[in-house]
Amino acid sequence: MRGPRLEFAVGAFLLLALASLLVLAVASTNGKFGFGGSTYPLKARFSTIGQLRVSAPVKIGGVVVGQVSEVTLDPQRFDSIVTLAIDDRYKDLPADTSAGIFTAGLLGESYVGLTPGGDVEVLKAGDEIALTQSAVDLMQLVGKYMFAGGGKPADATEGTGSAATPADATAPDAPPAAAASATHAHAQEHPSDSPTEPTP
Amino acid sequence: MPFVAATRALGAAGLFALSVLRASRPTRDFFSELTREIYKIGARSLPIVAAGGAFVGLSVTLLGYRALETYGATGQVSALLGLGLYRELGPVLTALLFVGRAGSSIAAELGLMRATDQITALGLMAIDPVAKTVAPRFWAAVLCVPLLTAFFVSLAITAGYFEAVHVIGIDGGTFWQTMKDSVDFHDDFLVAFIKAAIFGATSALVAAYVGYHAEPTIEGTSIATTRAVVNASLLVLMFNFVLSALLFRS
Amino acid sequence: MTDLRLERGGRVVLRDIALSVPRGSITAVLGPSGSGKSTLLAALTGELVPAAGTVEVFGEPVPRAQKALLAMRKRLGVLLQGNGLLTDLTAAENVALPLRTHTDLPDAVIRRLVEMKLHAVGLRAAADLFPRELSGGMARRVALARALALDPPLMVYDEPLTGLDPIASGVVMSLVRRLNDTLGLTSIVVTHHVHETMPIADHAIVIANGGIVFSGTPDALAATQDPLVRQFLDGQPDGPIAFDTSRTARAPEAA
Repeated sequence: MRGPRLEFAVGAFLLLALASLLVLAVASTNGKFGFGGSTYPLKARFSTIGQLRVSAPVKIGGVVVGQVSEVTLDPQRFDSIVTLAIDDRYKDLPADTSAGIFTAGLLGESYVGLTPGGDVEVLKAGDEIALTQSAVDLMQLVGKYMFAGGGKPADATEGTGSAATPADATAPDAPPAAAASATHAHAQEHPSDSPTEPTP
Repeated sequence: MPFVAATRALGAAGLFALSVLRASRPTRDFFSELTREIYKIGARSLPIVAAGGAFVGLSVTLLGYRALETYGATGQVSALLGLGLYRELGPVLTALLFVGRAGSSIAAELGLMRATDQITALGLMAIDPVAKTVAPRFWAAVLCVPLLTAFFVSLAITAGYFEAVHVIGIDGGTFWQTMKDSVDFHDDFLVAFIKAAIFGATSALVAAYVGYHAEPTIEGTSIATTRAVVNASLLVLMFNFVLSALLFRS
Repeated sequence: MTDLRLERGGRVVLRDIALSVPRGSITAVLGPSGSGKSTLLAALTGELVPAAGTVEVFGEPVPRAQKALLAMRKRLGVLLQGNGLLTDLTAAENVALPLRTHTDLPDAVIRRLVEMKLHAVGLRAAADLFPRELSGGMARRVALARALALDPPLMVYDEPLTGLDPIASGVVMSLVRRLNDTLGLTSIVVTHHVHETMPIADHAIVIANGGIVFSGTPDALAATQDPLVRQFLDGQPDGPIAFDTSRTARAPEAA
């Protein structure tokens, strides 16, 4: 192969390759190209974060609005401080927005779900979300119901550190309901777990 | 002692690698040689990589479907395909195909150059043989293996799509959406191509080292070619494990 | 070369070598296979460092330092046994290689120079052929043109007639003589093709048994009565170099 024909072949090869790279990037990945697209941080404390990891999504009503950028443990209060990087497009979240850790489906990945409240005041960059609901440990929950037999309400709620099901933990058919409501409920009536409650 | 010999060989190979990097200079001649090598080792590896990719895509889709059926999670088959390709199969299989096709030809060509006095002649003309013969092949490999991986993955996904949607009967929209939800751009896509570049560098260095230092005989060239393929394949698999372990975040 | 001793792999290949090549002459270095002729060349080009003695080229000892060695090699033209033409380049590109690498001449000038070099060896028409498309003799001549690219004052030929038919051999040998004279070169031809080389050589030495066994003019060589040299010249199967090798104290195989 000589000069011009060789160069053409190489050029065609390179073009095709770059084109397929582009198509792959767009068609088969989650498209989070965001190399630090502008975000602002919010903090939230949880007594337990369960399976939540850094870069887990943050969603409002199922729509991704940001991701978890950092998870640290407070050395004094021993709860987790999760830093959320929220896209700048969603600037004015009400001050009484609550944050909870949920799982997508029964076995899916953990994410942080935000539920905006109705406050006129807004959360500013660096503010801490006051109302939080920690992660539900599914295995602990199942274990409790399996081995607690008739299950007293006190047994059911102790130590899970979350609003499992305050009132309905009595009947054997409670576990499925409890699990379902634990993972999907937006438990706004339960303030953030106080530091006094022992983490499981 | 084999251990001492092996360590010396490793050291020699490392020094060789450094000399390749040091000898790489962006002259006009270098670019024309680079173009020629991209054609020889990249463009001409395309058919095998494309065919391989298509078949791997079909196989993994089928395999994934059967495995996921047990859990009633067949909708995730595209996620399995996408993640499997980006995280492991794409870079590794492309690199192994590359080693077989282009790695062997690099070793053979350099061995032949050694046997026909081309390398000696360059030295006697006061031209650095490594800069002239090895450096263009090295950089061509570093560039081409990621590009070939892109072809491999595209064909694998396309073939998998046809298998899943038109043969098995999974919904097309779900196929793409599930894949897009599972494959992360940074952690999966970019990492795959970085791995591929590293594999390309490794394969080229091993093949070039073995070919360049071959005995200047016909037998020497043939031995060099075999050694190049075996050693480069092993190193690719080894580095794949190392890279995956380093990049794995639980 | 003065009191030169060359070793390879711990074994002495050549000892007590004293050789002086006058400027402008053609010296033939003859000897049986394995006698150490290529080793001698290696010492000349700086590939092999002498175990003892000195090798001086252009009045200076052959350098060992990288840069000085490279500078010396630019003034040395070497024609190797295997030609060493790069397979991916055309004949013209091969000849142009030293010019492009070591000079800043513009492309047009280089092209003209390449044409001239190829014309000097009679192959201007083969400029755009690849080495695999050339016959043995043509390839050898292109390699010669390339060796002459930078107009080196000293030319070294390592077995230039290997694998050539009588006509091609005649062409190469006549080129060696003609170029030596017209370009004012000094040439050293290492070969075992005695009869093709004698007509064009000014001086001849014969290497055998690890040393020089003859040094003189081609006429003196033809008339010599030394049995070893006689056996070599006449191609006798048996003599000082025995047919049954267990009986000969031969110089070790030169690498």
